Amino acid sequence: MSKDTFTALVVDDEELARALVVEHLRAHPEIRILAECANGFEAVKAATEQKPDLLFLDIQMPKLDGFEVLELLECQPATVFITAFDQFAIKAFESHAVDYLLKPFSEARFEEALAKAKAKCLAGQISVPHPAELSAAARDKWPLERIVVRDGSKVTFISLDKLDYVQAQDDYVELKTEGRSYLKQQTLSSLENQLDPQRFLRVHRSFLLPVDRLARLEQGLTDSWTAILRDGTKLPVSKSGYAKLKELIG
Amino acid sequence: MHPILSSRTRLLAYLLIWVPLGGLLAGLAVMQDWSRLEALALAAPMAMLGAGIYLSPFYLCKVVSVENQSHRNLFITWALAAVTAAGLWSGAAWGVARFLGRLEALHALPQRITPALPVVWSLGIVLYLASAAFYYLLIALERAQKAEAEQLQLRMLAQEAELKALRAQLNPHFLFNSLNSISALTTVDSKRAREMCVLLSDFLRKSLGLGERRQVALREELDLVRAYLSIEQIRFGERLKVAWDIEPEAENALVPTLLLQPLVENAIKHGISVLPEGGELRLHATVLKGTVTFAVDNPSDLDAPSKPGLGLGLRQVRQRLWGRFPERCRFDSSNSDGRHRVVLTFPLEMES
Repeated sequence: MSKDTFTALVVDDEELARALVVEHLRAHPEIRILAECANGFEAVKAATEQKPDLLFLDIQMPKLDGFEVLELLECQPATVFITAFDQFAIKAFESHAVDYLLKPFSEARFEEALAKAKAKCLAGQISVPHPAELSAAARDKWPLERIVVRDGSKVTFISLDKLDYVQAQDDYVELKTEGRSYLKQQTLSSLENQLDPQRFLRVHRSFLLPVDRLARLEQGLTDSWTAILRDGTKLPVSKSGYAKLKELIG
Repeated sequence: MHPILSSRTRLLAYLLIWVPLGGLLAGLAVMQDWSRLEALALAAPMAMLGAGIYLSPFYLCKVVSVENQSHRNLFITWALAAVTAAGLWSGAAWGVARFLGRLEALHALPQRITPALPVVWSLGIVLYLASAAFYYLLIALERAQKAEAEQLQLRMLAQEAELKALRAQLNPHFLFNSLNSISALTTVDSKRAREMCVLLSDFLRKSLGLGERRQVALREELDLVRAYLSIEQIRFGERLKVAWDIEPEAENALVPTLLLQPLVENAIKHGISVLPEGGELRLHATVLKGTVTFAVDNPSDLDAPSKPGLGLGLRQVRQRLWGRFPERCRFDSSNSDGRHRVVLTFPLEMES
């Protein structure tokens, strides 16, 4: 695929930091800046609606950080992280993000990153692993305190206290909370790894539940068990899920 | 754990004490016209038994502490214990004497022991009380040693916190972000770029200068904070507003160096930078009846999961304030109406 124009999104909560990136990009007539975003919400909305080729993304932003933004995007633009923050985060995404720039950066360094991003964009999508895993590994935040989901171009936070249960749906997880359900592109295993195993238990290949939602267990005809949640929902429990439950709550 | 049983050398020393005590018993007996054989035959097992019995007052010492018992209680408890223990010991003397009396050479022992029993008993009481006093002394010594070690550890912790606090002043992220702002300004607004270079140098010079002193007037601390905030205001633009409300008298108050800047930095980090729309930072200082109250107040993110306890930065501020004004200061951190507020209260002390 050959391409002579690229669309780009510039995301940073500091106006001056955005201005700097925009200024560098202005030297490139082949780049069309779709929008400048001052926070993660705007970034998710703009990226979902306009599907940019390139994304210049700050990491530390209010409410929704750069990792979370990336985690919520279905399209995966060639992303250049821009941050004043240090190596621990960088290590994790080194191999996956196109490039990262440490503030303040030189023009030459910016050009290098831009060239890489364009090349990646021409080469097509090669994003593995999923940003949700990347984000967890990079942020050093474990266990997760909340789950970010996207509903259209709107971002919603699901508080873990309000999570009823999670069901696997192919490459997605379906998160049930307060009578609603949200889909998120992530595997159940990766979500399981991000949660506190004392609080959340995978009772079945396709189901994960907060232990405190469990009302009781019912034994089926054969050796099978069913978990009854406080709101009456019935979920299947596998043999190994039953063993884990017994170990956790005795 | 018993202080004597827990160490081999102490146990050995303790047992060695019982050799002269056994000798004393034998000597007393010889003075009562016992034969040497009789005296030794009885004194040796009595010393061994005594060594065992007189380990026990320690446990009573542990339970009955001198500090929180009335004199009357103490007297009754120890009198009863001593009388009982000594009774046991002299009873044992009698038993041993009767047992040894079966031997031909010691046949007179049972008759000899009876008149000696009151002496053994009184000696037992004296020994019991002496050993109790000894254990009390040991416990007090051990406690003093422990307290000293704790004191030392506390002092070391405080010093460490002090060092860390001073070192943490130059937050590298603050520097990198400021330099990035300058980098952006050079083309957009070169005059402001220069201005920011000056502000940043000013801040660095001030904080390096202050770092060498132990305490400074609040005025100088506020100057540093002002420099810091002007830089952050360029970075955050409209998002950062600052309201000052400082009573002139408060500016003379002496405070530990670099106490306020971490407070303000914390307010920016958790107040302004996490809010898309930013907010107003409020600084107050007042003096009332010789007491200074300094408060930093910032908007907080209501959606953020609240974490219990204070962060490292605030803990260090509290520690350093306490180190300077032990038991005469307060550190309060509270959340209400979407704002986080840290209030320091300390005595007004001025440079003479």
